[in-house]
Amino acid sequence: MSATPRSVDCVVVGGGPAGLAVARTASRHGVRVMLIDENAELGGQYYRQMPAGFRAAGGGPLGKESVEGRRLIDEVRTLGVELCLDAVVWGIFDQRTVAVATREATSLIDAETLVLAPGAYDRPVPFPGWTLPGVLTAGGAQNLMKGYRVLPGRRVLVAGSGPLLLVVAHYLLHGGARVVAICEASPMRQLWRYAHRLLPHLDFVQQGYRYRKEIKDAGVPFLTGHVIRRALGNGEVTGAVVSRCDDDWAPIGGSEQSFDVDTVVAGYGFVSSLELSRLAGCEHRWEPALGGWVPARNREMESTVPGVFIVGDGAGVAGSAVALEEGHVAGLAVAGRFGRLAGREYSREASRARGRLLHLAGFRRVMDELYRFGPGLYSLADRDTTLCRCEEVTAAEALEAVREGATHVNEVKAWTRVGMGRCQGRMCGPALAHLIARATGRPVTDAGVFTPRPPAKPVPLAALAHESH
Amino acid sequence: MTQGDLRMTATAERGRALTMLVDGGELTASEGESIAATLLASGRRLTRWTARTGEPRGYFCGMGICQDCLVTVDGLPNVRACMTPVRDGMRVETQRGLGEWGAGQ
Repeated sequence: MSATPRSVDCVVVGGGPAGLAVARTASRHGVRVMLIDENAELGGQYYRQMPAGFRAAGGGPLGKESVEGRRLIDEVRTLGVELCLDAVVWGIFDQRTVAVATREATSLIDAETLVLAPGAYDRPVPFPGWTLPGVLTAGGAQNLMKGYRVLPGRRVLVAGSGPLLLVVAHYLLHGGARVVAICEASPMRQLWRYAHRLLPHLDFVQQGYRYRKEIKDAGVPFLTGHVIRRALGNGEVTGAVVSRCDDDWAPIGGSEQSFDVDTVVAGYGFVSSLELSRLAGCEHRWEPALGGWVPARNREMESTVPGVFIVGDGAGVAGSAVALEEGHVAGLAVAGRFGRLAGREYSREASRARGRLLHLAGFRRVMDELYRFGPGLYSLADRDTTLCRCEEVTAAEALEAVREGATHVNEVKAWTRVGMGRCQGRMCGPALAHLIARATGRPVTDAGVFTPRPPAKPVPLAALAHESH
Repeated sequence: MTQGDLRMTATAERGRALTMLVDGGELTASEGESIAATLLASGRRLTRWTARTGEPRGYFCGMGICQDCLVTVDGLPNVRACMTPVRDGMRVETQRGLGEWGAGQ
């Protein structure tokens, strides 16, 4: 480890919409910004760019967001933001010292201000067969199609909840795959109740309507109040079983239906990536509508640790439009800290952005109610279902630890190795907390969260052995 | 294994063709693709067998988080197929368990 880390005014971790917006706003006001991302190109998941050497052809829906993202990325590059790509932030020490590893070397950076924009990932929901090759997340399917123009399969079942299911089905159909059915867990009843609240957001509504019409015209069954029950196959997916579910999204026995498929896409919403905000020592609170645990923040997007800001889906899942505005607000706040922005200009700009956030929040609340997550989904796992994909711990093994007296995820981890593997508990953590809650009859918040430890992601030994400045 | 090529060729021009070795057999890729994209495009879903029970695994989260699409690349185990671009002449091995340094070399 280096004894004298390099100092940077503002370090932004994550180059999706939120991180890009921070970098743009702060550097426009003269702040020296370093932007770190794990991918070779900026954009994150929503603005995912195709690799260099690829060029979109024939129009179509797949490139829309990446074109919008391209503009923002080019702007950030032109502003002279220092880019650190293909690099993993594997630790945060003393609140704002960032440990970053490239493929060759690791270094420490002292961030005067640190903005975390780590994004979110698909909520992992264990069900029988969910580890079979051919089962993938909605985000993973989207990346494959949007980023690499490759279909995940030919006969696909899409199961989950929320508007992303429609988007994924739309991409699949566009690419020539057969979508055998879409299973939306939410009952989607009495949609008219939301009409007046959706009026200010007609553009979103129209987009949703177009997707639904396309799906209907393609003859794809749209099954509301249905969940994936199991993926079938020996070696890889060859079939899937779905069933009706109750309002808590628990499967209803005797209502099973089978499909002959080669691929299952599962997308039950998203959860925030919290490893870095937890390593920085930020306080978190429980907000089920935002995905679960989220960092506590003030109006300027600053966490409970002074100088550490958190923006975008990593601070509660709310989508790219919100991420852009939050990034802008944090960028303004950072510029203010360095005296780059007069008080009056700051207030005017920030209050405009907050107005836009308020408008977006109206739409988000409707979505939250419409697609309210049902924890009954966690009862999909049988006793033999793998809970921890890395250490191959079954639901039964985890529950055995609970019967022996474990009440916190960290206790189950210590007793069974669940959450100890390479993914650092990202895949099993949310489900384990719910399994404990159901078994003990206590609130899910009592089961807690895995204590994150550096390295937050596996770092090649070669990089750890070599320092650079 | 799903049949044929799953590349959505009508929607994009792709990078130049290159060749890599997968478990010793030649596989054509487009420059810029991730290893996972190339494998999936040819219908190969399997990336590894797990250490404890020998279960098959493949591409799951597609964004570098789940660590399930691990393969051995040029003798280096535990490389995330979804985050690693293909290179001409690259040797990719379906990984057994925790992998073995130098496998396939």
